[in-house]
Amino acid sequence: MSTEQITAPGAPSPSGETAARPGPGTGVRADRRRSSLTTRRAFSFYAFAGPWVLGFLALTAFPLGYALWLSLTNSDGLSNNSHFVGLANYREVFTDPETLSSLARTGVFTAISVPLTLAAGLLLAVLVNQPIRARGLFRTLLYLPAVVPPVGAALTFKLIFDRDSGAANGFLDALHIDGVSWLMDPYARWVLITLTLWGAGNAMIVSLAGLQDVPKELYEAARIDGANTWQTFTRITLPLLSPVLFFQVVTGIIAAVQSFLPLLISLDPTPRGVSAVPEGNYLFMIHVFAQYFANGRYGYASAMLWVLFLIIVLITFLVFKLSRGAVFYAVDPEPDKPSRPRTLGGK
Amino acid sequence: MVFRRRSAVYMLLVGALVLFLGPFAWLLDTALKAPGELRALPIHWWPHHPSLSNFRDALTQIDYFGYARNSLTIATLYAVLVTMASAWAGYGFARLNAPGKRFIFNVLLSTMMLPQILTLIPTYLLFAKLHLTNTYVPWVLWGLCGAPYLIFLFRQFFSNMPKELEEAAIIDGCGQFRIFWRIFLPQSWPVIATSLILSFSWTWGDYIAPALLLDDAHTTLAVKLAYGYVNEHGSPLGNLVAAGAVMYVVPVLALFLIVQRGFVAGVATSGLK
Repeated sequence: MSTEQITAPGAPSPSGETAARPGPGTGVRADRRRSSLTTRRAFSFYAFAGPWVLGFLALTAFPLGYALWLSLTNSDGLSNNSHFVGLANYREVFTDPETLSSLARTGVFTAISVPLTLAAGLLLAVLVNQPIRARGLFRTLLYLPAVVPPVGAALTFKLIFDRDSGAANGFLDALHIDGVSWLMDPYARWVLITLTLWGAGNAMIVSLAGLQDVPKELYEAARIDGANTWQTFTRITLPLLSPVLFFQVVTGIIAAVQSFLPLLISLDPTPRGVSAVPEGNYLFMIHVFAQYFANGRYGYASAMLWVLFLIIVLITFLVFKLSRGAVFYAVDPEPDKPSRPRTLGGK
Repeated sequence: MVFRRRSAVYMLLVGALVLFLGPFAWLLDTALKAPGELRALPIHWWPHHPSLSNFRDALTQIDYFGYARNSLTIATLYAVLVTMASAWAGYGFARLNAPGKRFIFNVLLSTMMLPQILTLIPTYLLFAKLHLTNTYVPWVLWGLCGAPYLIFLFRQFFSNMPKELEEAAIIDGCGQFRIFWRIFLPQSWPVIATSLILSFSWTWGDYIAPALLLDDAHTTLAVKLAYGYVNEHGSPLGNLVAAGAVMYVVPVLALFLIVQRGFVAGVATSGLK
């Protein structure tokens, strides 16, 4: 879940004021009481935050350090003859044509799927924000696919796009069009993008939340000024929605570059089979799995993941830079409450 | 004019609904078809002999209940522990102050950007050395230290509670633990529910961690479902896959439908401020 890190880091803690509040009484005694209270609070804080800190050190920081070390070795995880190879793995990441092409494919997938999902989510959000009957029902049902676990979604799409028994070819057949092998090249990537779009309910909910925050008076004023629907949308709705859309672009990119859905769509009836992924869907993450599972190259897979992480950080930074001026904040976010769009779950 | 616009909205929405719910319909449709009908030409849009036998076979061809129990165990263990641990940490970040707090909080937030798989490879190697693979200990450990996203959720909720609650308790001589346990936690059931549901469905749907850490006997439904239904030649059995997938997806959908009112409304009204 990478949802909140975008806006929140700079936010000051809200509890500062609580701690600094003077206790009852005045003078030296009160001072002493206050300072002992502050110390007790500090101890309490460490008691409350402690488990997470320990867990972070043991289950995140230590494995990360280990991953860094692995990426500098030729470890296969099993034999004991792994040794330090310096930056060889990293050099290979940037020279191996298969790695680079999978990275490029991931870039293309991200560039197509993120804007499409954003647009679909926005369109749906505008629709379910209209004063219509059964609005809540529409919202719920359109959101439903977003809660389907990835394996369930992938299996469903495998059935729909099956060459012989799938609904997609059955539909084409009814129109007297010859069916195709959807799960193979060159169509497989479009099945993947369609599958991603199926979860647009998430984007819909986030955009809807943004839409509901737009002050109604602005629309009334625009109507009085004679603005048409399109003008209202582009001059009022879009600018006011831009922080929400920006947030979705950032989290969408982060999620898309880590996508391993192709693995689930094309999974062989053998566990851990990654060889059968069609070339068009052979994304970076799939390449990592292939190197890791099929070839047992733990060191190289770790190096690839570190590169991916650096790319994520770089993209996030760039999107922040580039969006300056395009993102419009109506009011400064309150210092106590960093703006925190919520998505609803792990996708 | 208004009428025409409204009917256009309905048409678009109904169209979207057909596209979004179509896959569910096809999944159910396939699950009800007899095995021979799957290859029928032209395609059978509706099973000519609908039967529930696929569901029975899906339950018996693999040890469905066994894997479901594994999934349920992992998901429940993790959801309960992670919710408790996240509420615990969230309270600290929301209501208490200490040197280094801001740094720790920033570390917490930045871990949300890490690709999960980056730590999973070394975690697998470590757990293998400690003989903890093929056990559910990793999920217990992950649960006990809380999840950054959920900690953040609790922190936001606790931050917005009035100071008076706490002050009255301090005057009465309550310690921070008692304040957390007796005053703040009982009021936070909406977040507790959200956290339980989110963490349960993450674990129920997770593929990567169980695929890495668990062998065939201990693995979860999510993993087994992906490759478990094959005939003796190794070809996938479409209608068993469909029936298995229906039974795998329905609990999550049901859970969502039960809580959706609070869920969608909560996100739509309080999500972005």
